[in-house]
Amino acid sequence: MRARVVVTGLGVVSPIGIGVSEFWKAALSGQSGISAITSFAPFPMDGYRSKVAGQVRDFAVEQFLDSAHGERVDRYAQFALVAAKEALTDSGIQMAKENPHRVAVIVGAGMGGMVMGEREITQLYERQKPNRVHPNFIPVITLNSASGIIAIAYGAKGPNLTISTACSSSAHALGQALHCIREGRADVVITVGADASITPLVFAGFCSLRALSTKFNEQPEKASRPFDRLRDGFVMGEGAGTLILESAAHAKKRKARVYAEIAGYAATSEAYHMVIPREDGVEVANTMKLALADAGLTPGQVDYINAHATSTTIGDAVEAKAIRQLFKSRADKIAINATKSLIGHTLGAAGAIGGIASVLALHTGQIHPTANYDDPDPACALGGLSRSAQERRIKVALLNAFGFGSNNAAVVLKHASA
Amino acid sequence: MATDPTTSLKIRTALGQYLKRDPATILMTHHLRDDLGLDSMAVIELLYRIEEAFDLQIPDQDLEGLANVGQVVSYVEKRLGKTASPVPTKKPTKPSKPKSRKKS
Repeated sequence: MRARVVVTGLGVVSPIGIGVSEFWKAALSGQSGISAITSFAPFPMDGYRSKVAGQVRDFAVEQFLDSAHGERVDRYAQFALVAAKEALTDSGIQMAKENPHRVAVIVGAGMGGMVMGEREITQLYERQKPNRVHPNFIPVITLNSASGIIAIAYGAKGPNLTISTACSSSAHALGQALHCIREGRADVVITVGADASITPLVFAGFCSLRALSTKFNEQPEKASRPFDRLRDGFVMGEGAGTLILESAAHAKKRKARVYAEIAGYAATSEAYHMVIPREDGVEVANTMKLALADAGLTPGQVDYINAHATSTTIGDAVEAKAIRQLFKSRADKIAINATKSLIGHTLGAAGAIGGIASVLALHTGQIHPTANYDDPDPACALGGLSRSAQERRIKVALLNAFGFGSNNAAVVLKHASA
Repeated sequence: MATDPTTSLKIRTALGQYLKRDPATILMTHHLRDDLGLDSMAVIELLYRIEEAFDLQIPDQDLEGLANVGQVVSYVEKRLGKTASPVPTKKPTKPSKPKSRKKS
């Protein structure tokens, strides 16, 4: 029999709070973490089409870590370290009591160390002094710097992997962590999603792609509005989420509190277009169906969906269409929300933070509101969406994440007692 | 409708380069998506080239009216102040529906 995999610890760094309790309280009250970007000093914001983002304000890594591990890594890895520390503490895992070779780290990150990356590249071209490139440039920008530093910080000697599939990175990290434990390669996986690339170049790139909301620059908290008629693009966010996954047997042995079970996962490619989803929603529906089959469940058993829902015109419509295809007459009965309505699109962190919202929905029976769902777009209105928090007893949850490069992920979570 | 041949040629040349075809075969009436096969990402790339070529910034909300080659040419001319003629439209324009076609 396959090993069951459970979630025993959570940690988060987000635009609406650092720490799970602060995050969840803000999420349930529908608080928006979207604010104006004041400047990319020395750039004024005038040249940017979009001027808002979900920013983690006043973050100083030394306030959260006792060690120096956060000092020589980029902002996204600092977020990852802080979220990992909270999640490990929350799980009660003491590394001294663990076999370090049975503890893995799997991180999902889409952009990596772009803060230092952009600075060093700019300086090299401006000063033309190759011998002045910072010696830490390579280890910092390498996309696995977060998974590396977490392992080093905690002595986790099991598999150490980074999944980079753009916006779905950490949903795939959750899926790969599930496989890792099922296959018996680890007892515990510190599973992380992290990104922090609200930087002059990356932000300009998303502006040029015309992927970002531009109509709500004067009302930042209104800009991220999944499934609403006036949505006009996503809002960039930053942050990190960590979920401690472990085998149910291992959790039981150490009498750990179990939040939820990770029961299934599917990964597919639409093999269609680098940034545009197939409009028929067939592949998205198929991904959800495969994940449910992996969990040994049917669409009829799903109570809640944490939607990918970035607030783009086509993306939300395709996801809603796929939900209708798969769940048919039950589509309007399933509770649905969009975490990105509160914090923006945290790219590689989105799957993990959405995963945390899903775990907490299962654990507490509370579903956070979808902010700005003021005027449901007929193209994607679903009965289970609400601007208000919902209370429901949920047994089965589905987490969706889709990424540039034509890739899809779906993760199935179950109530701890289900 | 009077259009500046230079503007038109520049835009059709940019399109020709992108589509790898002779600019002379690209007509003002050609619809960017239906006739030339440009998907939404390709339109954005084309507009990027036009922004570069004419030193313009084309806001997202203006994309709605840019469906065929003639509309793009007229729009650019209007922005450059070369003609006061309105941007031609085949259909009456609906209230602007935001377009953002990325999945991300």
